[in-house]
Amino acid sequence: MFKLAAKAVEIADKKRADFADIRVIEDRRQSLSVKNGEIAGLNDTVTLGFGVRVLFNGSWGFASSNIVSGPSIELCTLKALEIARSGAALKGKKARLAAEPAWQDLWQTPFIKDPFGVSIEKKLDLLFQTDSILRKNRKIKVSEGSMSFIREHQWHLTTEGSRIEQVLLSSGAGVSATAISDGEVQIRSYPSTHGGQTLSGGYELIETLDLSGNAERTREEALALLTAPQCPSGRKDLIIGQNQLALQIHESVGHATELDRVLGYEESFAGSSFATTEKLGKFRYAAPIVNLVADATLPGGLATAGYDDDAVQAQRWHIVKNGVLSGYMTNREFAHAIGSGRSRGSCRADGFSNIPITRICNLSLMPGRTPYEELISSTKDGIIMENNKSWSIDQKRLNFQFGCELGWLVKNGKKTTLVKNPTYQGITPEFWNSCNAIADENSWRLYGVANCGKGQPMQTAMMCHGSSPARFKNVKIGVKSI
Amino acid sequence: MNKPENICERIFALAKDVQTEALIERSTGALTRFADNEISQNVYSDSSNISIRFVDNGRTSRVTLNQSDEAALTRAVKTGLETLKKQKKDVSLLPLAGPGRIEHGKNIFSKDTADLSPSYRAQKIKSLVQACKKAGQTAYGTLENGLSSCTVANSRGVFAEHRESCITYSVTVRDGDGFGWAETPAACAGQIDFEAVNRTARLKASMSKKPSDIKPGRYPVILEPAAAADLLSYLCVFGFGGLFYNEGSSFASGNLGKKLLSGKLSIEDYALHGPASGMPFDFEGQPRRRVVLVDNGVLKGVVHDRKTASAAKTRSTGHALPQPSSFTPFPLNLSVRPGDSSVEEMIKSSERAVLVTQFHYTNLLKPLNVEMTGMTRNGTFLIENGKISKPLKNLRFTQSITEAFRETEAVGRTAELRQVWGKLSCPAFKLKAFNFSSATEF
Repeated sequence: MFKLAAKAVEIADKKRADFADIRVIEDRRQSLSVKNGEIAGLNDTVTLGFGVRVLFNGSWGFASSNIVSGPSIELCTLKALEIARSGAALKGKKARLAAEPAWQDLWQTPFIKDPFGVSIEKKLDLLFQTDSILRKNRKIKVSEGSMSFIREHQWHLTTEGSRIEQVLLSSGAGVSATAISDGEVQIRSYPSTHGGQTLSGGYELIETLDLSGNAERTREEALALLTAPQCPSGRKDLIIGQNQLALQIHESVGHATELDRVLGYEESFAGSSFATTEKLGKFRYAAPIVNLVADATLPGGLATAGYDDDAVQAQRWHIVKNGVLSGYMTNREFAHAIGSGRSRGSCRADGFSNIPITRICNLSLMPGRTPYEELISSTKDGIIMENNKSWSIDQKRLNFQFGCELGWLVKNGKKTTLVKNPTYQGITPEFWNSCNAIADENSWRLYGVANCGKGQPMQTAMMCHGSSPARFKNVKIGVKSI
Repeated sequence: MNKPENICERIFALAKDVQTEALIERSTGALTRFADNEISQNVYSDSSNISIRFVDNGRTSRVTLNQSDEAALTRAVKTGLETLKKQKKDVSLLPLAGPGRIEHGKNIFSKDTADLSPSYRAQKIKSLVQACKKAGQTAYGTLENGLSSCTVANSRGVFAEHRESCITYSVTVRDGDGFGWAETPAACAGQIDFEAVNRTARLKASMSKKPSDIKPGRYPVILEPAAAADLLSYLCVFGFGGLFYNEGSSFASGNLGKKLLSGKLSIEDYALHGPASGMPFDFEGQPRRRVVLVDNGVLKGVVHDRKTASAAKTRSTGHALPQPSSFTPFPLNLSVRPGDSSVEEMIKSSERAVLVTQFHYTNLLKPLNVEMTGMTRNGTFLIENGKISKPLKNLRFTQSITEAFRETEAVGRTAELRQVWGKLSCPAFKLKAFNFSSATEF
């Protein structure tokens, strides 16, 4: 494949491009879903294609095609050059790339069981078995279960001499039960919402989830929510479970520290960020106990790879260190904007047909020192929230509102009443500065975000967020004015 | 890529006597993105997909590929047929549909628009950037164009083809701490008034400077078309999707024929003609029918695919997604009937109200009353005594959309085409009360 891909690099060099690269990608994915005892989806997909990126006179051009042949690669490379030339007339600041060694390497996701080697029957049996447990009550009107597996084989060649082959593998599964009765609709998911849990690795991940073993609890909690009281509005100490904290980290820290959006390059769509570059190293983003670390080397992480799509080697670095804003997600084009000579390697593309853009890496909250039980026993008037149900945050990543599947009131150190439709609101720095306890490493869990949308044209990327449950003081619960 | 009809023929021959459906999609897309008064990203992509579904005696499978050579098709069909054998029989699985008569609506394909060059896009953007630089403003946005085509065919004789072009010009302008936005999607470049888009975004930005705080609470609200379209698209998907209706998670469940919305509100879905027209058939190759969802506030109908229609003991309205699907069929070509007011008249008739240009990051909280949350963006203003009195800092809303549109006070006489879940032609609305639950810092 490298031999074929070399055509793009040769043409770009001949035309005196500043930089060019080609990524050829073969993608295999399998998705299975069962709903209400029937197959709701069973798809096996194989795609192949390439994308050529050219930097010419400081201006970018990109073209892609699913026809992988010498003439097609030549045509696309010339198209990318034409596009780059057209943009150069309206380019004030010429793009230049931070230095990176030329890498020649083969990297692949470690796994135990190849998910594509596990039979369809075995996968469907597990989904149907779980589904039948979920439906063992007439008030469960919708039961769903799904699995998905992705293997992306990449060949990446650059004009700087990098020649990188990577095979990235991910596996995921999840189930949910929706109870409907007397004008009430309540959903409970396991192990997480938005399609369940996805991590990098093989079928062994599905086996550790124990979907059928957790189906009865999932069903009973959905039923219990039908008659649970409405979550009260007011200010309370909020204990957030790991799967909701994953989204909190994602939305209010991950996106807020993507350097392209900080610099305004996402203003027209997703927005910008309050975490502007003059705050680096000074801004009190969070309480001093908060440490948030980006890590492209994290085992199981969905953004874990040997190299990003800028051909930058994987790294680990602080985004928030002891509560202070300490870093950004960067690509090679924008790294110099924070005075950095090297990109952190957070530049990725959705498949072959999209240009690489700055993305959130795996970003995790480091564990604290408090045992989880003590986190609860030391809370006088609080609420525990788990599993995201809705999410919304403003275009500078300040004002957010999240809804969860369920809440448990905590009174005088004891978990008391189950409540439905819990929501909380906050302003990002105030919220993270109110963090007054983080549970210890015994309750640290990693959760995948498999559908993060960004960019125009819209691209989807995957990453993970790890955390132990954490407590935030005096948070606005519910939506009534307080 | 080979011609779709030849690919279909080959697939059906390879599958022999198993019922087989082919969905062939091709799209080209070119997009120039600009930020900070310069072009920041410039891309082109050309992609095709072939998705094949097999149905045999209560069993189904799907394979998808993007190569159309003999070896790739043979491999895909073999994989699909093997998967088919490994399932338990589902007695409720419908066989593939037979052919229906598909009418074609107005032409929404322009080759010139699909093929617009990067230098055309750069020239259009340059005009905006020059004006912004001169006025001390900063431009952001996109100009994109392309085509999409879709062929649905099956071994029972269905064969349907559609293609359309698209162009969208979207502009955000920053003026100090003020932001403005305007956007026009169209099938043909000639339908876009580029200068008008530039003018609106620039004016809004300049009017939005130095925004003030306002106490969150319930206010009468004037929603410009983009803001109203965002909310109404959720109302239509979660209210009028056949699967949600059948499952009982829609406010329309058991309520067809009842007046649950304002008498000023009428919505229909119509793919063939009208302002939001599109593909005249669904992903089972069935003709999309005209469906009145709301008529003067009365809930009239929901959209179905063959499966949800069968469960509801009615016929498909031609709204299937690729099957099997766990999501509801939903309307893709919506138009909201315009009223007799203008935004200016809505402002003039308001003693105190909030004017919203656009919403950001909207999301559903509760399906049964379509309770949603989201932020205002790119131009939020306070109306006092019939005039815009000042720009406001952005606000978060948390509001049931059914309740909000039950108390519609005025509907705009001019509708704009928006692209949300699908296409939606929508005018401005004035609503009696809207709950802003919190504020942000800008």
